[in-house]
Amino acid sequence: MGLIKHPNLEQLEASCTEALKNNLSNEELFAFSEFDQEEVERTGVSNYSYWRSTLRAFTRNKLAMFLLALTALIVIFTFIQPYLPNQFDPILASNDANGLPLKNQPPDSVHWLGTNDIGQDLWARLWSGTRTSLFIGIAVACIEAAVGILMGVMWGYLRKLDFLFTEIYNVLDNIPSTITLILISFILKPGIGTIIFAMSLTGWIGMARFVRNQVLIIRDRDYNVASRCLGTSTWRIIMKNLLPYLVSVIMLRMALSIPAAIGSEVFITYIGLGLPATIPSLGNLINVGRKLIPNPGLLYQLIYPTIVLSIVTVSFYIIGNAFSDAADPKNHL
Amino acid sequence: MSKQKSHRNRKNASKLPIIIVAVVLVVLIAAGIVIFTQQGDDTAKDDRKIYTALYGSEVSTLNYLTTSNTWDQTVGANVIDTLVEYDSLGNMVPGLAETWTTSEDGLKWTFKLRQGQKWYDYTGKEIAEVTANDFVSALEYVLNPVNESNVAYVVVNAANVLNAKAYNNGEITDFTQVGVKALDDYTVEYTLSVPTPYFASCLTYGCFMPAYGPQLQAEGTAFGTAVDKMYYCGAFIMTEYEPQVKHTYIKNVNNWDAANVHLDGISRIYNAESETLAPQMALRGEVDSAGLSNDIIDDWKLNHPEIITRDRAIPDYSYFYCFNFDPKFDAEYEPDNWLKAVNNANFRHSIMSAFDRTYAMRALEPDDPQSLLQNTVTPSAFTSVNGVDFTALEPFNGIEENFFNTEKALEYKEAAMAELKEQGVTFPVKVLVTYKSGDTDWENESILLKQQLEGVLGTDYIECILYAGPSESFLNATRRAGNYAFMRTNWGADYIDPYTWADPFAITKDKDTGAIVGNSYNKMDLMLDSDYTQTKEILTAYYAQVEEAKAITSDMLDRYNKFAEAEAMLVNNAMLVPYNISAAGYQVTKLNIFEGPYAPFGMSNLRFKYQTLHDDFLTTEEYNKAFEAWREGIAK
Amino acid sequence: MAAYLGKRFLRSFLTLFIILSIVFILVRQMPIEGYFPNIEKMTEEQIQNGIEQMGLDQPMPVQLFNFFKNLITKGDLGTSRIYRNNVPVTEILAPKIPVSIKLGSLSLLVSLLFGLPMGTLMAKYKGKFFDHLGTGFIVLINAVPAAVYYLFIQLYGTELFGISLLFDPDKWTSWILPVLSMSLGNTAYYAMWLRRYMVDESQKDYVMLARIKGADENRIMFRHVFRNSFVPLAQYIPTSFLNTVIGSIYIESLYSIPGMGGLLVDVIKKQDNAMIQGIVLLFACVGVIGLLLGDIMMVILDPRINFSKKGGDR
Repeated sequence: MGLIKHPNLEQLEASCTEALKNNLSNEELFAFSEFDQEEVERTGVSNYSYWRSTLRAFTRNKLAMFLLALTALIVIFTFIQPYLPNQFDPILASNDANGLPLKNQPPDSVHWLGTNDIGQDLWARLWSGTRTSLFIGIAVACIEAAVGILMGVMWGYLRKLDFLFTEIYNVLDNIPSTITLILISFILKPGIGTIIFAMSLTGWIGMARFVRNQVLIIRDRDYNVASRCLGTSTWRIIMKNLLPYLVSVIMLRMALSIPAAIGSEVFITYIGLGLPATIPSLGNLINVGRKLIPNPGLLYQLIYPTIVLSIVTVSFYIIGNAFSDAADPKNHL
Repeated sequence: MSKQKSHRNRKNASKLPIIIVAVVLVVLIAAGIVIFTQQGDDTAKDDRKIYTALYGSEVSTLNYLTTSNTWDQTVGANVIDTLVEYDSLGNMVPGLAETWTTSEDGLKWTFKLRQGQKWYDYTGKEIAEVTANDFVSALEYVLNPVNESNVAYVVVNAANVLNAKAYNNGEITDFTQVGVKALDDYTVEYTLSVPTPYFASCLTYGCFMPAYGPQLQAEGTAFGTAVDKMYYCGAFIMTEYEPQVKHTYIKNVNNWDAANVHLDGISRIYNAESETLAPQMALRGEVDSAGLSNDIIDDWKLNHPEIITRDRAIPDYSYFYCFNFDPKFDAEYEPDNWLKAVNNANFRHSIMSAFDRTYAMRALEPDDPQSLLQNTVTPSAFTSVNGVDFTALEPFNGIEENFFNTEKALEYKEAAMAELKEQGVTFPVKVLVTYKSGDTDWENESILLKQQLEGVLGTDYIECILYAGPSESFLNATRRAGNYAFMRTNWGADYIDPYTWADPFAITKDKDTGAIVGNSYNKMDLMLDSDYTQTKEILTAYYAQVEEAKAITSDMLDRYNKFAEAEAMLVNNAMLVPYNISAAGYQVTKLNIFEGPYAPFGMSNLRFKYQTLHDDFLTTEEYNKAFEAWREGIAK
Repeated sequence: MAAYLGKRFLRSFLTLFIILSIVFILVRQMPIEGYFPNIEKMTEEQIQNGIEQMGLDQPMPVQLFNFFKNLITKGDLGTSRIYRNNVPVTEILAPKIPVSIKLGSLSLLVSLLFGLPMGTLMAKYKGKFFDHLGTGFIVLINAVPAAVYYLFIQLYGTELFGISLLFDPDKWTSWILPVLSMSLGNTAYYAMWLRRYMVDESQKDYVMLARIKGADENRIMFRHVFRNSFVPLAQYIPTSFLNTVIGSIYIESLYSIPGMGGLLVDVIKKQDNAMIQGIVLLFACVGVIGLLLGDIMMVILDPRINFSKKGGDR
């Protein structure tokens, strides 16, 4: 795209400066290379593999790798946590010696993160809630991606549908997503399915538009025109020529929509349309916890879910960006 | 090149940080000014006694003639006077009526009005005198179906005003046939269809409040939608009503009882987060009272134990768990299975006996759940006859046997399982426990209930499924729609007679076909037409008993005993599980709540009359003293 | 341009019409019981009366036609039934709109005022201390739920300044915290994207060329890089203003600000159809206008963009 590739710009500039500063002569700057028979006989076949290069570029990003590991750890832990020893049920209230609910017990060796106002174990609730929230986030991201890509590619590639799709987009995009979220959560029974449905219902639009714009740009590139001339089927062009080019941006959007969905869940819970307390989620835990902010003695109920939420949000954000950089063929040099 | 460049770079770029620093400085200076101006304001505070508090949900109307919502009624209770009222010890005292008489047959009630009482508009301007006609036109408004009054049922069903039902149904259109007359400007006469000994107590309810006739006529359904769309004659005048902003009242200095109104004004500020913010604002002196929810009470007990007080526990509301006899919930929760199970007395008894009410009530009243427990639907201290409390009447003897007893519960379980298996009931029976989403205490209560019931009876027998109903239109979607199996429900008394507590279970028929459609509580009356002979027998006896009790209007002891017998039938047959009266929530307040008007029903408790605003929060000690004094007073 | 705008307007109206119709039909799918807060204590006549009064007994197309007829001929959005019984919707909305707009525009201003310099500086000092500081801020704002940090700011901010927890429109000091809290999200957003666009832009060939030619670095940054990077952001400004107005539900609830924030949620829960329609109309109007303004702003800022030309990609 450019004459000088930007990642190398600073390096180049620095070496030029260095060279100038030292005021070296041409002899010192340039030297003949050795003749090598093997090099001469090597053919021009590239062993370039898109996915391997992507992976290599990604693994080079230490922070992203660390956060990926951390997120993976969190995901795995949410599943194995109930099977560890000395765990409590996230729903059942613990009783004290007198058979009464052990309420607002600060963190101790039995209840690692303390208990809430009816004696439910917050450690168990935290992981159960993280599991729920991650599930919602990932499900929403996948549905959004699937629907969004399908619609977007059709919208961009099939010229006849463009007008219709554009009109539909204008309408849907103008209904504030808050309204849709609220209406759906209100009309349907509260539950995980409803929340996923409500969020996906508006989320795919952004993805579709994004994909469509990309497709429009790539559609008429020479290699695609050539493919068409050679009689390649539309489906094959879409699958082989278009989609791989979009992987990086799609992954970025998916990675971003996971924390966005979790955030929406917090919002929906805030306005009283979220999951019932019998299904712990980060949204539930944070909403219960935030009411305790004025009471410093009870803040422990808020802090841990917020930390997990923050870690998940930041991780997905950075992983998404790192992966999108890595998946961009321009960065594979 | 590079040296020069970076040098110039630094020099120019330093402009931006300067801009930012400047902006930050401006903000800081602004903040400084704030503190100054703020301090200036504080000195100008006047010494009027204005009671300030937050509120978290807005009234839907100021129209006291149509609303049955307690919070809406708070407005009417404070700005409109009634014919009779209650003092802080629950004694009926004259209000707008100075004297009243009842005819021999108990059908005619005549009230002599206090003269010189005026209507004022929201600016305090005098409009007209309060006359007997205002009571007539208000009742006409209430009964006119066009106005959709939600409190018309009190006039029709409870107060038994002559021809009220016919007019409300549209059967007659001539209001002069309805039993309310203005004999002259200062005399109101009510005629009843049957003798109603408790009629005077109904008069404190919104539907019997007066309203200025010409204004009702002019505004129609717009009456009471804004401060300028109604007039005032009560202890306070509402000067401002900005929805979701504030309600402001000032004292009506011309009120006949102004000497007993000690607040100069009331200022209520809307805040959707009031539950979270109000306690903080109270500590900072911004509001004069705040409720302390159960989730923060532990922290308060640690940090501010000396100013924690409680609300008055008023026996005007009763909570009871209903078994649903008309399950309409999703097929996945097996409604048919439930219907068979619930019609088995042993099954109902097993749940009732397994239910440790004090455990579940920890969610509502963490410290002293026992104090709220009721073994009857009618709350104790609601009414008494010949010095005996209704709930202590003889028919209720031994009623406590029905409650929590693990051994018995397991016996019932055995019996129920044997009987029900024969009828093809599958176990575990799914018990849909419904609660309102957003109601933390209730949610917690349901969680504890599930845990406790399943703990005693075992999950081979029942499986409680918690179901969160919507936070708005909750009852329409759940109880009234039959969308529950076992659920806490409640009823509030509208007048002082045991009949008010039989109201929710009355046989409800379709107006046209005459077929039973089921009361909106447990729908048990539907079983009268069913094949469940066991249930049918119980209900036939119960409804006969209620009819018998209703017919007795002279011998109060007999009437009360009969009602008690009917109610005992429901409890002894485990048709429902009595639970508790409204919890007296924790709060901090500068008002001595025991000074306020008191009645175990209706709107009197909502009044701010008689109450004084203290300079500091009531201490726990002062509260206990006042509580003791009030209890002694009421016992007399 | 004029022809394009005319067409855009017409299409916007069509869009509004469709949105309103969809919402109109949607809200009428809710159960009848929801319209009467006290249905059990009402007689059959009263319920029937109410249904007729709301026009719910008529077939849907008739209801829809009547709604649009009243809206267009009289500007009448109907009357609220539950939120505030019998009060016209327009009368309820009128005092709330200016409050939300004031709050929204102020907070947008603040976020631009902080966000743009921040993004510029971060891009300029990429990889240096200021960049890390800014990134830290952006990460913090995005990671911690607004519901949590808003309340912290309110509690501790008011304590620090010694001002009331609640909003008082007459005291300008009570505007500071709500406006500041509301602007945080957008500040982070602008800083983040401006930095990104500027970093990308400053690596383009023409910038390189300008550098090699020895142009003043600051001049390059502001005349070229900033201006070109700001274009895609500018398109977002009107929409973000709207989102601020709509999305101020947290702030308005916390500070008791009498705006539109929580209104929609409130009326949907209360099943007040007339109010829902009124607010949706308002929000949709603002959304459509926002898109339009965004496009116009792009044209003004970037002369290369020309919408009169056919072709949708940009």
